[in-house]
Amino acid sequence: MRYIVAGYVVILGLLFLYAVQIVWRRRRLARAVARVVATATATAHDGAGDAVATSVGRHP
Amino acid sequence: MSDLEPVTDRTHGSPVPAAADTGPTPPPARSARSRATERVIGVLALVGTVFTVWLGLWVTPPDRTQGDLVRLVYLHPGVAWVALYLAFGLAAVSSVLYLWPRTRSLFWDRLAAASVEVGVVFNVCTLVSGSIWGKPTWGVWWAWDARLTLTAVLLVLFLGYLALRRIPAEPEVRARRSAFVALFAVLDVPLVHFSVNWWNTLHQGATVLNPGLTLKIHGSMAWTLLLGFVSLTLAFVWMLLVRYRIGVLEDWLDANELDAALAERRSEGAGPGHTVPSEPVGVA
Repeated sequence: MRYIVAGYVVILGLLFLYAVQIVWRRRRLARAVARVVATATATAHDGAGDAVATSVGRHP
Repeated sequence: MSDLEPVTDRTHGSPVPAAADTGPTPPPARSARSRATERVIGVLALVGTVFTVWLGLWVTPPDRTQGDLVRLVYLHPGVAWVALYLAFGLAAVSSVLYLWPRTRSLFWDRLAAASVEVGVVFNVCTLVSGSIWGKPTWGVWWAWDARLTLTAVLLVLFLGYLALRRIPAEPEVRARRSAFVALFAVLDVPLVHFSVNWWNTLHQGATVLNPGLTLKIHGSMAWTLLLGFVSLTLAFVWMLLVRYRIGVLEDWLDANELDAALAERRSEGAGPGHTVPSEPVGVA
């Protein structure tokens, strides 16, 4: 009977671990995407003002 | 390059508004319907698997020849079915559709990649559970039997496919060479399937997918076996949906993360007391 239990535990355990891992990966990537979008948006707003100041500095 | 020019997307060759506009467009969000579908499939897979385990371990009778060891039949052929026929079959079909000029789209490449990764997990389950079944039945954990060896070769081939995808390349180049490798690797599937007919092997012949498509087990054992097939198929579909979304997000980050980082650095450099160089060092 121990072989049967071992077989069930290995199959279901591997599938469960993989399922948890892909859900975790998806969440981590979704957070990374949100962070990049937020950073780029904030930079776009800040960068617009900086770019004006920089161009003024270059061409006095 | 001016600081306000859009940064070119080095992955897809399309302009990405990083610094001058409102930032990169986020990847398309999943609809409420697709989230609900994914959840329903996941719950059905979980409930089906729990029922299969309950029926397999406690309800179905032992076999006349194998005794209780037959209970492994409710999971082992199911994971093999998913790995060999569903996952690697879908990867092959997706690869053909990617290579076919009229249907060429990175959607098929992502689908093939997701399918192969999930298939590799099921393939590992097949080999390990088969080995656990082999020890009390044949007396050894492993035999260089045709079916076992060819299944192990299949795993190595698709691990190679996944390794190939990690080599940095343009998405189109990666997709093209991955498709060719998938089509080469999948040639092993019919060899695995017919190995029990073509050679003398320790492994038993086909139980379900035999030439006559007749179930060679009966009653509660047959129903439990079929429930196991359905549950594991649903588990595969759920994993495929989750893994496909990972591919979408990874591709988006590959295309946009560098541009966002560059825009951030440029913004930092343009602070008070700093002069922004007109050509950033090391950036084409």
